This record gives sequence, C-alpha cells and structure tokens, in this order.
Amino acid sequence: MSAVLGAERPQVVSHVQQALSYTVFDCKWVPRSARLLCLGSAARGTGVLQLYELHGARLELLREIEKPKPIKCGTFGATSLQQRYLATGDFDGNLNIWNLEAPEIPVYSVKGHKEIINSIDGVGGLGIGEGAPEIVTGSRDGTVKVWDPRQNDTPVASMEPVQGESKRDCWTVAFGNAYNQEERVVCAGYDNGDIKLFDLKTMSLQWETNIKNGVCSVEFDRKDINMNKLVATSLEGKFHVFDMRTQHPTKGFASVSEKAQKSTIWQVRHLPQNRDIFMTSGGSGSLHLWKYEYPAQRSKKDSEGSEMGVAGSLSLLQNVTLSTQPISSLDWSPDKKGLCVCGSFDQTVRVLIVTKLNKI
Amino acid sequence: MTHPYREGSTFSGLLQSSTVDTKQISSVSIPPFLFEAILYAPIDDTNSTAKIGNGNIFFTLYKKEPALWDSLTLANADKEKLQYLRENAVLKAQEKAKEETEAKKITKQEHKKYALEATMKLEEAERKRIEALKEKERQKVAKELELWKNQQKDSDKYKSIQKKEELHQEIEPLEERKNEKMNKTRIPNEGSSKTRLKSTRGHGSCSIFSQNLKEEQLPAPRVAATIKVNFTPRVFPTALRESRVAEEEEWLHKQAEARRIINSDLSELEDLKEEEKNPDWLKDKGNKMFAMGDYLGAVNAYNLAVRLNNKLPLLYLNRAACHLKLRNLHKAIEDSSKALELLTPPVPDNENARVKAHVRRGTAFCQLELYTEGLQDYEAALKIDPRNKILEKDAEKIRHLIQGTMQSS
Repeated sequence: MSAVLGAERPQVVSHVQQALSYTVFDCKWVPRSARLLCLGSAARGTGVLQLYELHGARLELLREIEKPKPIKCGTFGATSLQQRYLATGDFDGNLNIWNLEAPEIPVYSVKGHKEIINSIDGVGGLGIGEGAPEIVTGSRDGTVKVWDPRQNDTPVASMEPVQGESKRDCWTVAFGNAYNQEERVVCAGYDNGDIKLFDLKTMSLQWETNIKNGVCSVEFDRKDINMNKLVATSLEGKFHVFDMRTQHPTKGFASVSEKAQKSTIWQVRHLPQNRDIFMTSGGSGSLHLWKYEYPAQRSKKDSEGSEMGVAGSLSLLQNVTLSTQPISSLDWSPDKKGLCVCGSFDQTVRVLIVTKLNKI
Repeated sequence: MTHPYREGSTFSGLLQSSTVDTKQISSVSIPPFLFEAILYAPIDDTNSTAKIGNGNIFFTLYKKEPALWDSLTLANADKEKLQYLRENAVLKAQEKAKEETEAKKITKQEHKKYALEATMKLEEAERKRIEALKEKERQKVAKELELWKNQQKDSDKYKSIQKKEELHQEIEPLEERKNEKMNKTRIPNEGSSKTRLKSTRGHGSCSIFSQNLKEEQLPAPRVAATIKVNFTPRVFPTALRESRVAEEEEWLHKQAEARRIINSDLSELEDLKEEEKNPDWLKDKGNKMFAMGDYLGAVNAYNLAVRLNNKLPLLYLNRAACHLKLRNLHKAIEDSSKALELLTPPVPDNENARVKAHVRRGTAFCQLELYTEGLQDYEAALKIDPRNKILEKDAEKIRHLIQGTMQSS
C-alpha cells in the first residue's frame, strides 16, 4: 500500500484474502447482503460457483455448486430483489439463470452462442431503472445478443456481423441509458479496438469508434439514467472516458484518455454511490481509483454550429498493488459504500474497503 | 627571554610560524627568525604552551619530572646531540600530528555512526506511527462492516418474518372460504383451487403475489430484431495492440510485395502452361508431391516457383523439408536460412513458419554432426513455442549427445 496518510486521500484497505482452489473469472456481491459469489473454472474443466459470507475477518463458504462447463461471467442485474437469481455465461456459450436456493436446474437456459460468452450484463432488475429486465451477452463468435428471461430460445435483439464478414471477438458488453421503459442502449467492445453503441429502441447502430487497442471492458457510469459517461479500458494500459451527453454528427462523443498501467486494464467499475468515481484493475495486479471532474462547459458549438461535447479531466485518487497476477474481476457492493471484492488469476479473492470516499 | 620579531607581523604571520615544544627542545620559528632552546630536562609537551604576542613570546612549560634544574638550557650541548635531539623532535612532532589526525578521524566516524543511528531510529519511529495509523483505520473499517452486516441480517430476518406473517394471514381467510365453498356446493377440487386463486387475485395486495402484478406491469418482451455489424478490418486474428502495429504493417507490406514481384525469365517461361506460371499453384503441386514421397519432383516444382517469385518464404521452407528427406543437408540449411530471412519481422502470424524453419535447420545441422549449431536452432524454436513437448525432447537429446561427445573427446 502506498500513499501518505494524513492527507485526505482514500485508502484501500485489504480486509480479507481467500485462497481458492480454482481459477476465478468473476466475483459478484449478492445484493442486499454481505454475501459474495465467485465464479470460475476448476482444474478438472468444470464450472464452479461458490457462495461466501463475510464473517469478521474471514470469508465463510456457504455453498459450493459444480456445473459441467466452466463459468466465465455472471450478473444479478436483471433479477428482482426478492428473487436474486444469477445469470451466468459459460465457456460453451450457454446462458443460464440460476436460483441459488435450488441450483440444480436453471430457471432459464439457452445455448446462446457458438463460442465462449466473454461478458454479460443485466438491466431492469434490483429495483434499479425501468423497463423489462433484459440480459445481454457478448461472445467470441462476434455476436452480441439481448435476452428476455420471459422469452425462451430466441434473443430479443442480436448484433451480428454482416454476411461474409470475418468476425471479431466481442470482449465486453454493457447496458446503459435505461431511464424509461422504452430507451435502452447496449455498448459492445471488440478485440480489434471497435466500440459500438446500439440503440435498442430504434434497433440501429448509434455510434461506433475504434480506440486502437483491444477493448477489455466497457461500463456506463450508471445504467438507469440518461447516458452520462462511458469508460472503455483496453490493452496496453489505456482507458478512455467518453462524455455521452452530446453526440456530434461526425465526431461522435468527446473523450479523455489516460495511460495508467503498463499492462492491460482488465476491468473498470464505477462506485454505485458516486458515479464520478471508478476503479480500474490491471494486468500487473494493481488497482487504481480515479475521479472524473467535469469541465466548466460540457458542450460547445463547433464551427458549423453543431453541438460538440467537451471532455473533463481525470485525477488519480489512489493506487495499490495487491498481486503479481492480473486482477480480472472487480465488483463494488451496492449496499455498503467502499466495500468491494476483486478476484485475480493467482486464485485469490480479496475483499477490500476503500475509506474516506465521503470526503470526495 | 624576550625575542624581538618583525614589527607588523599579523596573526596570519603567527599562524605560519611553528612552535614546537617537544620533550626537550623548545623552538619557535617565525621566518626569518628562529629561536631554539635545548632544555635541561624533558617537559610535558601536551600541557605546555607558547604564547606569541605583543613583541614577546611567553613559554609556559611544565616539567615532566618535578626537580630542580641546574639551568634552563643544556650547557654543553655538542653538535651531534643537538642534531639528534632536533631530528627526534621533528619526528615526534610528526607522530603527534599523525596521532591527532587519527584521533580526529575516529571521533568523526563515531559521530557519523551516531548520526546515522539516530536518523534510522527516527525513520523507524515514523514508519511505526504510519503503521499504527493504518491498523487503526483497518480496525475501524472492519468494525463498521460488522455493524452493517448485522444490520443486514436483522433486516433480512425481519423481512422473512413479515413474509411469513403475511402468508399466514393469507392462508387463514382462504382456508375459511374454502371450507365455506365445500359446504355450499359440490365442486371438484380443481375447481375450488381455481376459485381460491381467483379470490386472492381479487385482493391483490399481498407481498407474495405483488410480484406477479409487477410482472404484469412490465412491458412485453421486445420484438426480436437483428442489427448487422461491420468491423474495422483487421488481417490478423489476434487482438489489436498499438505497440505491435508497426511490425504488423511491415510484415503485411512484405507479403503484399512478395506476391506482386514476378521474376521474368522470358524465354523459358513461354513453354509453360498458364497455371504453371503461378507460384502458389506450383507450391501446392510441390506439397502434394512431398506428401506422396516424390521428393525430387517436389524440389523441381519449388525451384520453378522460386524462379517466378523469390520472395515467398514458404517456398524455401518447404524445399528445405524436401532436401532433408533427400539428405541434401547443406541445401536444407541454405533454404531454411533463406526462409528465416524472409520471415522478418517476427509477428505471431508467422510463428509457425519460423518454428518449422528453425527445426528443419536444426535437424540438418545435427545430421551433419554439428550439434551445437543444431541445438541453437532448437532452442530458438523453443523460444517461439515454449509449450511444444516434442521440441523439448529433441533439444534434450541433442544436449545429451553434445555432452557425450565432449566426454569421449
């Protein structure tokens, strides 16, 4: 841990460290509880789901569930607070929704993709946002599909490569702009540096750009408001913050970029309680805590009179190196400000507490 | 004894003078004057002083041995003794000076050490203080977490109790109504259960069923649609990295050029059929012949292809394989080297080709018994593809061979 105490900078305190016997690909807090979920792949090639509860200075294993295929990602985003069903994507392209009280048979199951589902996101659940609960999955087969748990077998939206075009791996997906029942966008990042924004209301491509490095993770600062900011992280230690409020007809969205770590930035996660603070996790096992500051004027007119966005600035609040292996997954607790869990490729899951976030 | 010295001599002049009170000689030299007195008996030179000032020099000398001296100076001092005493004096003075510097050095070192230790202690203290602060922070945060967690538990419990109560409340009136219905009419069981459900729907305010209601308020699933996507073109199947772009461009450029260059050797080529003028077709032909065991034929095909286009690395690579089979080891080495030359810059795209080139060249070297060169190539191949078990085994074998030959020779 670095940084000078005594200043008002937030500190990242490592609260609990738990060694696992499998590779953990994703870790998520169970909403409205002190329980967390780890998803991954056991050495045998099967999938593992472990449910832990925070007890003082350690994690107590409540439940371990084994599944035939390794699990890559999961989300609670599309489920109600009472049900708290987990949606997972596995290495075989299957999308499953599980009731953790009765995990033998999934509540919903579909072979959504031909190859591994790299990323999953959910919206419309947990009492956040409006509209139908939906799940989006992005896969190595180059497609992004949106699913409604009430509709079996076929997706409600599918973003596929044009006939004959060679596919690129989709590495990350995120929902956004879900501020009323009709509006919704999906943002997808691909390994060739493409970022595409799909508007689900008009079923069209709203915007695309290329950030010159494979896109590892995209996230809107909040899913349930008018699109405000989008952070996209990539290989080679770079990430971009786009101001999504003003779209210029040719230039798209304004952005500011930062080169933080020498290695891949695997994940970005915004603090649920403050949308201008986010944490990036890196391939060198480090975590960086950032704050975005808005510019004086968020938009200005260009020479032809069309509105153009103005990007703000970033400041690094804290950084800490926890491991020598990449930290591949990160999740903030939606209930306790500053509590987060991260999983890394050294088969360890760590619970961290970030202090002094109130003073920012 | 008074001694006049130059009027106007300043303090610096005094510093330049040297006063030596060694055990038996007292001398003061203020150029151009020199005063020397050989005393009767030794004096204690550390405590004695000589003060120069005001046109006088005051000597304060302490006798080493308290005794009465016959006279201040030695009366019959012969030249030799004088000389001897003088030299001694000088030597002693030098020694003393040396000792003093030594002593000074030692004290300086000790002071330094002390200072260092003191700073270290201070830094330790600072570090401990920071650690303590951090610990406190950690504990505070852990306590808050516990508190929050307990709150969570309590609220969960409370909610589940609430649920149970409401469920209970639900069931009671239902039970009553069911009994009533049973008494009133003879409806089959399914019918009564249906009515039961219907009547509860009518209430519509219970927690269990509120979910169903909320679902009804949700919009219907979206109408399925597809959006077609175009990707930014990229030749390589690997992910895009900015730092590799320059290399990749170079490789692509080379490949593109290679395809375009066609060496023209006009007269002989006129006899060839159209397809025989295409290096790729010839390469395929060559590959087929190799697969069937016709190595000479394959070499011919590759030779012609190379004459048409000498920039395609795969031609040389495959011809090297043929030469290996034909035991034309030197030619195999030449061709593998040429292939490797053309396979620059090294990108993940041409990894396989490079591994093969190294392996073929390595094999040729080994068959020529040039084991060290062969091992170099195998190690280069392993560097590109470290997970290849066959390569590892072969490299091990070569190492053993080298050690064997070294031992025997």
